[in-house]
Amino acid sequence: MLRVVNGARVTSARRSRVYTISTAWLLALATLLAGGADARPASELGADPTMIKGAPAAPVTIVEFSDYQ
Amino acid sequence: MKEYEGRVRLVFKDFPLPSHALARPAHEAARCAGALGRYWPYHDRLFAAQPAFERDALVRYAVEVGLPREAFARCLDERRFVSAVEADVAQARDLGIRSTPTFIINGRPLVGAHPVETFRTVIDEALRAAR
Repeated sequence: MLRVVNGARVTSARRSRVYTISTAWLLALATLLAGGADARPASELGADPTMIKGAPAAPVTIVEFSDYQ
Repeated sequence: MKEYEGRVRLVFKDFPLPSHALARPAHEAARCAGALGRYWPYHDRLFAAQPAFERDALVRYAVEVGLPREAFARCLDERRFVSAVEADVAQARDLGIRSTPTFIINGRPLVGAHPVETFRTVIDEALRAAR
């Protein structure tokens, strides 16, 4: 997972540090999404209807935070 | 998306990074395209054109996807969606998101660009869990 997150080969010493940072960040994000600050599904967090594609009743929702540039 | 038609929906959220000077107007432009009924064609056009996001280029792409030039340009120049884009950015920050793209698949974060096979794996797991 960490190689995917960072997308590049790293030295063993650097990998260890990246592992710590990434794990902490992912745990924090997972905690928030699991019902920390806002327990609503991410799909309902104020999404603009024009920016949603797919069946409303679909069992899986992918929320993509992205940058055009 | 076609592969999972009826089973997966996609929600796009704006997260222009501060280091990308032309990203924010591009996101606002996409919102204008959405207000005029052509969000996804414009969205795809922007990804194909990156990083050429000067104002005149944004208007040209709008015309290319069938939007009325004057109405689109007015929306863009008036920055009608500046607060909507900012709201998405604030939401991303609240969620601890720092980089793009970041995907959240039924609550599970997936950070970075991944091979399609990775998405299939995560989506299939989410579908099994949803049964």
